[in-house]
Amino acid sequence: MSLLAVDVEVDGVVHKLALERRDEGWMLQMDGRFIPVDLTEPMPGVLSLLIDDGDAGVRSYRCVRTECAGEETIAVGSEVHRVTVSDPRSLRGQRRGMGAANGALQIKASMPGRIARVLVKAGETVKNQQGVVVIEAMKMQNELKATRDGRVAELRVAAGDKVSAGQVLAVIE
Amino acid sequence: MASIRKILIANRGEIALRLLRACRELGISPVAVYSDADRNALHVLHADEAYRLGPAPSVESYLRGAHILDIAQRCGADAIHPGYGFLSENADFAEACTAAGITFIGPPPSAMRELGSKTRARAAADRARMPRTPGSVRGLASPEEALQIAAEIGYPVMLKAAAGGGGKGMRAIQTPGELPSAFVSASDEAARAFGSGEVYLEKLIERPRHIEIQLLADQHGNVVYLGERECSVQRRHQKVIEEAPSPVVGPELRRRMGEAACRLAREAGYVNAGTVEFLVDEAQNFYFLEVNTRLQVEHAVTELVTGLDLVHLQIAIAEGKALPFRQEEIMLRGHAMEVRVYAEDPETGFLPSPGRITKLLRPGGPGLREDEGVYEGWEVPTEYDPMLSKLIAYAPDRATAIARLGCALDEYVIGGIRTNLKFLRRVLDDPEFRAARIDTGYLDRMPGQPAATNNPAANCTADAAAVAALRFAAPAMQRPQTNTQTPWQNDAFRRGLRR
Repeated sequence: MSLLAVDVEVDGVVHKLALERRDEGWMLQMDGRFIPVDLTEPMPGVLSLLIDDGDAGVRSYRCVRTECAGEETIAVGSEVHRVTVSDPRSLRGQRRGMGAANGALQIKASMPGRIARVLVKAGETVKNQQGVVVIEAMKMQNELKATRDGRVAELRVAAGDKVSAGQVLAVIE
Repeated sequence: MASIRKILIANRGEIALRLLRACRELGISPVAVYSDADRNALHVLHADEAYRLGPAPSVESYLRGAHILDIAQRCGADAIHPGYGFLSENADFAEACTAAGITFIGPPPSAMRELGSKTRARAAADRARMPRTPGSVRGLASPEEALQIAAEIGYPVMLKAAAGGGGKGMRAIQTPGELPSAFVSASDEAARAFGSGEVYLEKLIERPRHIEIQLLADQHGNVVYLGERECSVQRRHQKVIEEAPSPVVGPELRRRMGEAACRLAREAGYVNAGTVEFLVDEAQNFYFLEVNTRLQVEHAVTELVTGLDLVHLQIAIAEGKALPFRQEEIMLRGHAMEVRVYAEDPETGFLPSPGRITKLLRPGGPGLREDEGVYEGWEVPTEYDPMLSKLIAYAPDRATAIARLGCALDEYVIGGIRTNLKFLRRVLDDPEFRAARIDTGYLDRMPGQPAATNNPAANCTADAAAVAALRFAAPAMQRPQTNTQTPWQNDAFRRGLRR
């Protein structure tokens, strides 16, 4: 008998899940509820999930793994959910949000492209929503803005530079 | 004129594949060209012959007219189809093709020059007695001249690239203070996108609808219009949803707009497929906007409601054949609606989202057409437009077409990159859209992120997502490989069903 017990965060809400082999099928324990389920993977990355929903019948879900930019997402029918799987210990270690608002703000390239223009100088003070750099990709120019007031502590790119997704372009303090 | 036997398709993406299929249907051999970023593209996979153009950037590949013409000559192509974008509205290229004895599938260079430049087209529209928006009929020399004309016609005004298309080099200006910097950035963007930085000004029509007339003209002087398309659902002047017929155009307005468009085509000596774009105000006055001297992205909706194949007809016209029907024989039937599926992230201000498509599940069913240019495993390049495919629904009426398209969007899954699929679904669900209360600013007023409502359907799927996430995270948890067993033979599961 195999037993999997983890915390799964779906769109910011943490669920406690355990999946247990029962004879030929699976019993899902989710936030204290016991639900018989059946799972198959008809195509790689595509799950057919049947959940016995009591009076509502056996619900059929097509769950498709659609990971993007390092973030795990799962498309269920026409809904897309962001998910994170972690065991309870590591989740506790990952409590976020503390002190981040006071630290340095990194302006990162949201996509690979070319720097069309730099709109600020190092040392300059910037306001929330002020444009910092203009990045060009797929023939469209997009302005990356500061998301809070601050001072440009570092400017790591110049016009014409090629940048990759996630690259830090400027640091606001 | 001799019939065409081999066509070089000077384009990429979904349109290259659509043209290639038309060639196959007509027994014409299709030749592909590709940049280094497109070596593994579908249009190369499906072609009879394929030739490398150069590195990924358009200027080093798909915009290299002389090189493409040289390839056409060497491979023995009798014609070049330019598709849309790239060289499609380049009169010099069309002229060079003709000089080299290769048929350019499009209008004659003289008509392209007359209508392809928006400033000259506005002058031609005056001669064809077409209503147009107030503003300049020639390019602006400086921001100072722009300020002067704007002061004459009154704000708000629209700054546009004379060689433009797809919303590039276009800016709406509310006050004089915005004009000088917008002039520079629009001109800059236009120069990079089209090789010409010429911009002009016109008065901005408040809350207009974008409605365009599809034209066909043969070499024998026959000009017809194939009804209209409504393309008011645009984001930053880039069309996103198109439909035919327009929900607000009746037979009388259709006839007046169609005949005006035909007058302009005759005035310019136009041949082949073309589109005359209009703005239509709330009082149903129409104003000439511009002419696209090529096949449009959204041509499929016209094909569905007319039952015609515009690419087949383009090729027949280029071969010198007369149009096989008269105006009164053209019937519009049913309703067609197209959505453009883009690699962009609505939740981060529609930033482009290039990358590898790790999963692709396509919709199906009756009345559905997809003009696609991508496949599972394809790496969407950063160098070109972010359009992945066009999904088109056809039904007897608008409401059914919307329902059909909505179901298709629900079925559609694209993984590995961000897309606008969910955003499109939200637009189709919007009561304003359903009631056809739309104008060219409609989509820009719609937020990229859905309103935070408690969606019960999403709660159910969230539970399913949690289970799926657990399953994907634990590959060891395989079902026993007893393929003969169905879920219904599964004891624990069956027990759950009996109660």
